[in-house]
Amino acid sequence: MSGRRSRQSTSSTSSRITDDQIIDLVSKLHQLLPEIRSTRRSNKINIEQASANKVLQETCNYIRNLHKEVDDLSDRLSQLLSSIDADSPEAAIIRSLI
Amino acid sequence: MKARMQNSSSSALLKQEFLKKWINGLQTYTNTKKEMTILDRKNAIKLSADIAIASTRNFSTNWSRAVMADVSKNVDGSSKIVTEKILGRKETCIIKCSKNIMRKSRLLAHRKRAIRRTIGRTSVKAASAIAKELVKKRTRVLKRLVPGGKQMNEICLIKETLDYIASLQVQVDVMRNIANAADQCLDSTERSLL
Repeated sequence: MSGRRSRQSTSSTSSRITDDQIIDLVSKLHQLLPEIRSTRRSNKINIEQASANKVLQETCNYIRNLHKEVDDLSDRLSQLLSSIDADSPEAAIIRSLI
Repeated sequence: MKARMQNSSSSALLKQEFLKKWINGLQTYTNTKKEMTILDRKNAIKLSADIAIASTRNFSTNWSRAVMADVSKNVDGSSKIVTEKILGRKETCIIKCSKNIMRKSRLLAHRKRAIRRTIGRTSVKAASAIAKELVKKRTRVLKRLVPGGKQMNEICLIKETLDYIASLQVQVDVMRNIANAADQCLDSTERSLL
């Protein structure tokens, strides 16, 4: 019995830490992501978890988009950069950007 | 305002560092470029970009270490050459040693997960429980997206995600700028030929 009680207490403290971190994450992600629409619910417990869920969803979608962009840009560059050589006009432009 | 200005200058430095390392990696292909197909070229560009962006973190983050562990899994010798070019020989050897460390931590995480499953679950269908399930589900997806995420606890995962997203943005920005510059260069040379 005592084993179950101690297990419950550890799970509640770990979820409290995660909620704080998630609130922290919401404020930081606001700078990185497009606007996250906040859903208002009467139940207070659900607000944190609803926003956490929304944030995680936006984050996953955003990372997937970024992965796809890298892939598409690699495709585009493989066709454009016909010469990955030191003596090409493209390299001169790249050097001017550094 | 100051924080934002500092952010933009540090991200500019990051972009420069990524660009230099990326181009360094690409230069390893100068001798073989004539035999490369378009797909080979694309993989070379992507590989160099991934190694370059991971190394800008000096391997202080889990995701960057996981990226390098994945790269060194590749049997193809070219990835080793690119890594050496971008990082130097010493760092490449260190990364090979860290492969074993990652393998051990993966086994440890497996054992912990197996123990947790045997404890058993109680199904309570309250709104908060359903919301918790959703959060868990999304966390699982996020763990799959962030390299090395499967071995992290939730707090670590969130911190790594922030850093990973910032690095991905740098990577995408620089690659997009180069692609646009190459586009313009191509346009201008075409016009001069007319």
